[in-house]
Amino acid sequence: MLTLKDLYFSVPVEVDGTREERVIVDHINFTFEEGKFYAITGPNGSGKTTLARLVMGINQPVEGRIIFQGRDITPLSITERANLGIAYSFQHPARFKGITFRDLLSIAAGTDDESMILALLRRVGICSFSFLDLPVDAKLSGGEIKKIELATTIARNPRLAIYDEPDTGIDLWTINPMVRLLKREQQERGTTTIVVSHNRAFLEAADVVLIIVKGKIVYEGKIEGALQMLTDMSVCSYRHCDKCVGEEDAECYR
Amino acid sequence: MLNAIDKELLKTVADLEDLPKGAYNIRKDGKLLARATSANIDIETYEGGKGIIVKIKPNTVNESVHIPVILSQAGLFDVVYNRFEIGEGSDVTIIAGCGIHCGGPDPEGHAGIHEFIVGRKAKVKYIEKHFATGSGMGKRTLNPTTKVFLAEGAQVEMELMQIGGVDEAHRSNEITLGAGSVALITERVMTDGEQKAESKNTIILEGPSSRANMVSRSVIKGNSVQNFYAVMEARAPAFGHIECDAIIMDNGRNETIPSLKALHPEAELSHEASIGKIAGEQLMKLMSLGLTYDEAVGRIIQGFLR
Repeated sequence: MLTLKDLYFSVPVEVDGTREERVIVDHINFTFEEGKFYAITGPNGSGKTTLARLVMGINQPVEGRIIFQGRDITPLSITERANLGIAYSFQHPARFKGITFRDLLSIAAGTDDESMILALLRRVGICSFSFLDLPVDAKLSGGEIKKIELATTIARNPRLAIYDEPDTGIDLWTINPMVRLLKREQQERGTTTIVVSHNRAFLEAADVVLIIVKGKIVYEGKIEGALQMLTDMSVCSYRHCDKCVGEEDAECYR
Repeated sequence: MLNAIDKELLKTVADLEDLPKGAYNIRKDGKLLARATSANIDIETYEGGKGIIVKIKPNTVNESVHIPVILSQAGLFDVVYNRFEIGEGSDVTIIAGCGIHCGGPDPEGHAGIHEFIVGRKAKVKYIEKHFATGSGMGKRTLNPTTKVFLAEGAQVEMELMQIGGVDEAHRSNEITLGAGSVALITERVMTDGEQKAESKNTIILEGPSSRANMVSRSVIKGNSVQNFYAVMEARAPAFGHIECDAIIMDNGRNETIPSLKALHPEAELSHEASIGKIAGEQLMKLMSLGLTYDEAVGRIIQGFLR
């Protein structure tokens, strides 16, 4: 249902005064099959998020094509891709001033009908209706805003749902219900699901695990076959990277 | 009595389809058009006819007063002095607003000087909307001045809005808070084209345990300019916060200066200010929910000014 053809993305960087290209996604070829659950993992900075953003149209590839349900969507805008059935959950969701959870849900679902909105809340497992009229602003906790992000993605009834690190800021005991929710959406509605995550719970739930290292897919298959490779990677290969300190370090797959 | 233009202006500035229920005073082109009083709310004409005195009896609850001003006479600059005396323990809503319809080349304008004396433990919600329309090229000016005095334990909630079409506005708000009183002020201004708007605010936390929160939201489009100044001065152990945000679009310009003065060691004052374009991540989120770029901008502005 989604084919990446020779997808390539790089950014210009300045190293010691000279400009060079840093390759982020390195000529990836891959086909995602309809209705399957994919987990993309790999070290920090390996290109996982960029790959997801290329599919949603947030970034444009330097080279290559993206084919969605038989159609070349490479030149299409975010809006056009959204309207074709692709939905995206941001790792760090935008915070607004004055826009409420209800506003976002009704934009996502295309209706402000109260019963439809309440049905959506039940579907995503949010019991607290008071949540609805809270502004989606900086006062929300990291966990709350991620739940809202997930709900707005599901409210789109997407054919393809992409979740970038859905567990960021989520407490440990909320991760399993979240995995169950995404699996239920996949199984009951046939939503093709791509989750970018370091979390083992998502990798175990996936039909296919993809490991990306330095912009290339280095593994494709079941979690069981990936374990050795993930264990080897658990010695953080980015230790010498100056970004890899403190909290950043804890996010490395290990 | 109300023509089509009057009705449109009244609907925009005061949400009125026709004459309101309860007490009201409608001023058109510098003259009284209609007035009604209630058992608890009296409206008198100020000396010389240049405004009104609204007297609200103590313990008047769940009543409202509409006092809109509409202008559609070319070349007129209407100045009014209105005074509101709100009795102890009252809980009332006052809806003001000025709508200008400018059909010709001559300028039209309105300066409203509103003074509120809010009695002990009284609560007032004050809503003021400013709007100008019409195909004429005449300059539309609105210069509102609001002075509020809060007695002990009183509370005022002010919603001040300038929603479009006003070429020049100089707003001045002065609020003095007595012991334990509360002022919540929200100001929302949108300018476009060559418009200019200035807002000057002085909030004096005079009494102990008084609290004030001022929120200003500005959207500055086209070549318009908006400047926002707020001084919050605490003379007692009091709490105050200023939040001012401006979204700049096109070539808009903005100056924002929040100022805090603590004249008492136990005063707690804070401010946050930001000026910038619409955040890219907000646009991307709404576009990923199916909105076009322009629709996303519209929704973000609508929410911001809500």
